[in-house]
Amino acid sequence: MSIGGSDLDKAIAQLRACRPIPENQVRELCYKARELLIEEGNVVGVDAPVTICGDIHGQFHDLMELFRVGGDVPDTNYLFMGDFVDRGFYSLESFLLLLCLKVRYPDRITLIRGNHESRQITTVYGFYDECVRKYGSANVWRYCCDVFDFLALGALVTGAATSLSPTEGPLAENAEAMPDIDADIEIETLNSAGEVMFRYARNSDSQTSESSQTLGSSPARPDPTPTRVGAAGTGASGSSNGTSRNEGGAVLCVHGGLSPLIDTIDKIRLLDRKQEVPHEGAMCDLLWSDPDDIDGWGLSPRGAGFLFGGDIVKRFNHNNDISLIARAHQLVMEGFKEMFDNTIVTVWSAPNYCYRCGNVAAILELGEDGSNAGFQRRSNGDRGGGGGGWVLGSNDGTSTRNSTDNLRLPEGPGRRYRVFEAAPQDSRGMPAKKPVADYFL
Amino acid sequence: MSNTNIPDLRTLLASRRGGSTRRGARGPPGPPGSSQSGRGAAADDAVRNTDQDAAGSRVSCVELGYLNDPYAKLFATQPSTRRLPLLNRGSYVRTSAIDLLIDRFMSTAPGEPKQIVSLGAGTDTRFFRLQDKYPPAELVYHEIDFPLNTAAKLAAIQRHPQLFTKLPDKAASLTTGATSYSSSSYNVHALDLRSMADSTVEAAPPLPNLNPAIPTLILSEMCLIYLQASTVSSILSKFLTTYIPAPTPVSLILYEPILPNDAFGKVMTSNLASRNIQLPTLSVYPELGDQRARLKQYGFVDGARAADTEWLWRKWVSEEEKERVAGLEMLDELEELELLLRHYCIAWGWRDGGQGVFSKAWGELHDSAEQS
Repeated sequence: MSIGGSDLDKAIAQLRACRPIPENQVRELCYKARELLIEEGNVVGVDAPVTICGDIHGQFHDLMELFRVGGDVPDTNYLFMGDFVDRGFYSLESFLLLLCLKVRYPDRITLIRGNHESRQITTVYGFYDECVRKYGSANVWRYCCDVFDFLALGALVTGAATSLSPTEGPLAENAEAMPDIDADIEIETLNSAGEVMFRYARNSDSQTSESSQTLGSSPARPDPTPTRVGAAGTGASGSSNGTSRNEGGAVLCVHGGLSPLIDTIDKIRLLDRKQEVPHEGAMCDLLWSDPDDIDGWGLSPRGAGFLFGGDIVKRFNHNNDISLIARAHQLVMEGFKEMFDNTIVTVWSAPNYCYRCGNVAAILELGEDGSNAGFQRRSNGDRGGGGGGWVLGSNDGTSTRNSTDNLRLPEGPGRRYRVFEAAPQDSRGMPAKKPVADYFL
Repeated sequence: MSNTNIPDLRTLLASRRGGSTRRGARGPPGPPGSSQSGRGAAADDAVRNTDQDAAGSRVSCVELGYLNDPYAKLFATQPSTRRLPLLNRGSYVRTSAIDLLIDRFMSTAPGEPKQIVSLGAGTDTRFFRLQDKYPPAELVYHEIDFPLNTAAKLAAIQRHPQLFTKLPDKAASLTTGATSYSSSSYNVHALDLRSMADSTVEAAPPLPNLNPAIPTLILSEMCLIYLQASTVSSILSKFLTTYIPAPTPVSLILYEPILPNDAFGKVMTSNLASRNIQLPTLSVYPELGDQRARLKQYGFVDGARAADTEWLWRKWVSEEEKERVAGLEMLDELEELELLLRHYCIAWGWRDGGQGVFSKAWGELHDSAEQS
């Protein structure tokens, strides 16, 4: 049985209802997906507008809620930063639906690899058992793992506008005082009803840069001094009044973070990614590392990847002409968390993670740079292999080796976060087992 | 979530066609004394069944090398399921922190007799582990639990020579189907703890072989949390005045959840409620400070300390041991682990006149309030 055309739409409809598709269709789908993914570079080029999502972890009903809040495919472009499977009850349906959408709308959805897209991890954290339970054999798990090996390691979003046009929505009940509507809006936080909870302008008068100012710390209860949070944003931009609104740098998306073995995006492009996630090395680090309030590099308590500090991020962003790194991998109770003067953000998209953690989820929308149709490409370097042809600035020797204080970083994109809660169970006529979370009893 | 919790979608589809098939009684358990009612009985069942949950967690920990406990699997009735790394880590911290407190108690004033009373002991293996570690003559051990649990435990002991040879009379007096057992070192009392709190009964229920004159450590690992706060007060008052009256040194170790009011705590409370498990004292003693205060109120006036298990992992586990444990499994759930560990605490308090065995054993062992 083939899974082209109307069959694919049928499969999508079936998966949207949280019903698995037959094994032979999975095999066909995975084969098609591999053909598609093999053509992608290690770093996929993606044009704004795009909505960036973090971990899903088999929480199928919450993935449906994500689409409700963020818009459906193909109306909204999506970039999922990995960890589709494990932990939740519906890893299979979640991953296969995303994969179907990828095959159906290849230019509308980008999937990159998370550390859970691995044979070893899925045998510990549930996806393997789920497949065996639902199909009676490990075949489907094997087909999926073969797809995992072809997923890209990162994505580079270009053409994002540096400021948002304010959402014309009602204000949330507990919304803070909003900046002037004509101001250069850098960040907006919306709740799942589309109400504006939080908004602030890029305020370049104030240069009080606070290290590791965390915007995401309480979007539900906004910081009483939003201008100070805004100031942290300006600290990152390092720009003065009158900067052209649309010369933002690109946004690098990766599941975990940086690697001490990778100082340019081109080095990511040179990796041989078509394999199981190794236990160490650059590929492993990209999927496992975490930002932390340290200087330089540190050992990761996860046993894989590294911890990296703000200085590492700023230097990397500067050297690669990147304004922001978007990554997932770490549970944040508020759904998202910006760090290091807004140079890196963690986006987490699994609400009430594992049906236990009580957290909210978020997705990050980057708008299209309307005035300049398409991002201005710089060409002071050679074209990178694969990907969408985005070219990096090489910037040899221009950065100060030891201090990141004076680095001029590209202005960051305007960022709209939509925060949402776990989907009510049994709400959409889909089978939903009352989840049983483990506690110590 | 253990693997068995992954639903078989085919059965779900079938049951959906047949309409809703929600099983199990819901709603809060009745007050003490109402346990004859259907709702109360269902709640009691739910609490009793938590024991096999704990036994499974212990076996998982042992099989992966977190804990050394040759007896754990002898009590588990369900086939062992590998728990998630974060649950194994949590079980490890809980067990090793309580072990540390008990080891300090056991090794203080060696040669002098000591007594441990384990409330809601279930399938706990501590008695057998202590037998291997300390001269048997020094310890009198008591376990109290529902008759169904004690019967299962005694049956397991009878089945396994590794267990019954640890008993002083080699289980000679252990009859098939027994719910209680008494000997010079090991005693199992089939008793609903709530019967101790009944104020209309003058005499406390008898606890054979309980010695009112030797230093006694009372242990509640996820036990008293299932009772009403007033019931818990009455039970401990019975212990501190009737069973183990002053000036006999007496202490209490509690292991239970805390922080019910933050996002994680709220979900925990509602998830457990859907399994018909209520934790009445959780909202009464939500924070570490409340735990310390309650110990004092009960009469543990010479020391009242508490720390969450995240802190205990960082401060009580040696770097070397941390490294060993971290090497057992790849743990990807760090943020979740931290959340989970911060929501469980160990609280320990004592009454010994300030110079007794507990002050000597635990006086130098600080908690998170004294040493951060």
